[in-house]
Order: sequence, then C-alpha cells, then structure tokens
Amino acid sequence: MNEEIAFWMLSAIAVLGALVAVRKRNLIHGVFALMVFFAGLAGLFLLLLAEFIAAAQILVYIGAVGILLLFAIMLTERVAGDDGRRMTSRGWFWGLVAAVAVFVVLLLPPIQQFPSPEHARAIEPSVKELGEKLMHPYVVTLEVLALLLTAALIGAVTAAQGVRMPKEEDSPE
Amino acid sequence: MTLHHYLILAAVLFCVGLIGVFTRRNAIVVLFSVEIMLNAANLNFIAFWRYSENPALLHGPLFTLFAIAVAAAEVAVGLALVIAVYRHFKTVDLESMDTLREE
Repeated sequence: MNEEIAFWMLSAIAVLGALVAVRKRNLIHGVFALMVFFAGLAGLFLLLLAEFIAAAQILVYIGAVGILLLFAIMLTERVAGDDGRRMTSRGWFWGLVAAVAVFVVLLLPPIQQFPSPEHARAIEPSVKELGEKLMHPYVVTLEVLALLLTAALIGAVTAAQGVRMPKEEDSPE
Repeated sequence: MTLHHYLILAAVLFCVGLIGVFTRRNAIVVLFSVEIMLNAANLNFIAFWRYSENPALLHGPLFTLFAIAVAAAEVAVGLALVIAVYRHFKTVDLESMDTLREE
C-alpha cells in the first residue's frame, strides 16, 4: 500500500518535471524542472532497492549535469529563453505526432504482451557486492570507462576552447 | 507494483523526451531531452533487474552505472559542442544552423 502511494507520487513528480523541462520557455526554469525530474527518478530507484544507483543519480545528474547545463545556458545567448521568437521548431506538429506514435505503436504493445512477474523477490542491500563485482568480472569495463571519461574531458575542453585563428604569426626577427 | 507499471512509466518518460527532441529549437533543450530519454532507459534496466529471476547477479545496477557514466561524458562533450557552435553562429537555434542545406 505504502509502496503504491510512493510509486504514484514519484512517477507524477518525474513525469511533470520532465514535461515542464521540455515545454518551459525559460531555460533556467527548465533546468530546475529537469533537476526535479532527476530527483523523482532517484526516488524510484530507491523504491526498486537500487540505493547506490539512486545516490549516483543524485550526485551525477543533479550535482554535475544540472550545473553543467546551467553554465552552458549562461555562456550562450539569452538566459530568459527564446523571448519573442518561436519556441518550437518548424515541424513541431509532426514531431509531436511522431513522438505519440512511437509511444502508441512501438512501445505500448510489446509492454502489454510482456508476461509480467507479479512479485519482486526480496533482495539484500547490494552496495558491497556491487563494488566486488566492479573489481572482479567488470574491471576491464571500469578501466575503459575511465579512459572514456578522460577522453571526453579532453575533448570537451578542446571543443569549447575553439580553434585559435592564426591572426598574428610570429614574424621572424 | 508490477513490472508493467515501471515499464509504462519509462515509456511515457521516453516519449516526453522524444517530444522535446522533436519540437524544440534550442540546442540545449534538445540535449537535455536526450538526457530524459537516457534516464527512462535506466529506469527500465533497474525495473527489469528488480523483477528478474536472479537479482543477486546485479546486472541491472552495473549496466545502469556504466550508462550513467557514458551519459555524463556525452553531456559534457555535447555542451562543449553547443558552446563551439554558439561561438561560430552566435546562436543556439537549431533552425539557423543550415549551412549544409541546399538552397
């Protein structure tokens, strides 16, 4: 019973947060709604007993990605959003139709035909095993991921720095 | 709560993200709509793991952890590209970036 109330409340928070984030004209407000969505999703992960993933969700998404988005918005044009201009793209109607069609035609039927296991099994708190699994069978994946993050960091710095135009060549003296 | 509740919720969230990608013109909004879609996929991983035959194997959280790391890398590079594009075009409006379009 309590689980059901928590599920409905958290899913309402997540869906409303996502909708506001997607439709809000003011980008800063949109990013804060996105943070609400991430928090709702972290609550759902807790409800599914994935406590480490919930913590990682809060740290990575609300902490890092949210702030990164705020900085990107402040570094690019108008903070208050697309005032006085069209907010939506030219083919917005067909985009809307396509998104709803993906839901109705592609996603919903397989979900409904999927045989649903009614009961979740009881599980132990899993952070310790998660760490051990990361060290034993998945250590290569972990290292590749570290390499990927380093490459992404360097790539992001390089891309944001831009190409320096060689305006003033060092004249030979 | 059955598995279906979580799957339908994830599908709804995915489509909300898809609506953002399809209908907005601001590059940053499109980027974080993609993040919403990735998070819906993560919710599916965790839900399938929770209702699976053998949750002690921890496949769901491990895969979600890797997906979160890749998504973080993606958002960092994506925003750097948005800033680079902004420096060039002086706008983040996706419809004005049409240099490659044949007129």
